[in-house]
Amino acid sequence: MKSITKDLSHYLALFGILFAAFAGLIIFSYDKNFQIAVGLALSASYVAWGVTHHYIHHDLHFETFLEYLVIAALGFVLIFGVIVRT
Amino acid sequence: MQFFELVKHLFVPHTTNNQKAKLLHSESLFFIAVGLIVFQLLLGFGRKTFPQVLGYAANISPSEVIRLTNVQRADNGLSPVTESTILDAAALAKGNDMLAKDYWAHFAPDGTTPWSFFLKFGYKYSYAGENLARDFQDASSTVTAWMNSPSHRENMLNPNYKDIGIGVVEGNLAGVDTTIIVQFFGAPLSGESVIPVVQAKEGLVPSVTSSPSPSPTPTPVEVVASVQTTPKMSPFASTKNVSLLVTGILILLLSIDLIIVRRKRIARIGGKTLAHLAYLGMILAVLLILKAGQII
Repeated sequence: MKSITKDLSHYLALFGILFAAFAGLIIFSYDKNFQIAVGLALSASYVAWGVTHHYIHHDLHFETFLEYLVIAALGFVLIFGVIVRT
Repeated sequence: MQFFELVKHLFVPHTTNNQKAKLLHSESLFFIAVGLIVFQLLLGFGRKTFPQVLGYAANISPSEVIRLTNVQRADNGLSPVTESTILDAAALAKGNDMLAKDYWAHFAPDGTTPWSFFLKFGYKYSYAGENLARDFQDASSTVTAWMNSPSHRENMLNPNYKDIGIGVVEGNLAGVDTTIIVQFFGAPLSGESVIPVVQAKEGLVPSVTSSPSPSPTPTPVEVVASVQTTPKMSPFASTKNVSLLVTGILILLLSIDLIIVRRKRIARIGGKTLAHLAYLGMILAVLLILKAGQII
């Protein structure tokens, strides 16, 4: 919790991204292509958030970037699979 | 003992895994993602090769759809609609027409209107309406989806309708095994003008004719009470369950990681576990909410 209060603005931005994507995925549930686009935007935004956050903290390494990239890709694969099967 | 060490290595931050559960390492996550893609490819292959195993498993009872429709009407102070065997047959014919001509729309590519099915079976209407649904697992989720859509809700709660007919058909639509539910509403002709109404998002209101053309004598109908398919694996349910399992395990591992790293004050290079938890938590919420089924 300490890191949240320390980087409140960063986490507020992250929660904003997550909430916007969540709302987009639910509200536009009738449009699969739009949902997939939202999923892609979410993944890209998550990687961008991670890179920005660690860059500001001067602890951005290639391994860190890779970790965000893989987590973002995994999240996209998880929701993409379900969206195409709905 | 070796098994215990392996579990610890995979799931808990430890010296053997560089203070991070092996399953949370980037390469492991990459392989999990690849595994999920392979699973999807196998599902697609399985649907084509073993349609009797991997297909759409639905249990839609027309009488339940009618009952739930009337529950909604009663809740809104409207009189119930009565099941019409003629409309049941017409709805079934519409469903079969969609499968035969391979379309998912109110109007067939050859211009066949929903109303032609009413007239074909001898139902001369003063009001007529149609709701369509596909890929729902049960009657309840279908009716709920219709009620959540303003245009379909309007049809469900139209006080002009007196009769209802439901057709449930199963078959292959655009290469996908599916269950189609056709809901026909009508009011018999009694002198007033003919006002066909179709529920769709836009531009689907047909031109109104002053009176329907003479219709053939009502055809004896055979109504299928319900579609009881043999148990199958639903690709949607399989994908959703696997995705939920993977997301749940990762969230559990990240939570364990967060607690242990904080308690032991382990310093390491890497992403923020809390951010990963928030991201995967949101993915979990979406997975839980997403449901199968489309309506038009």
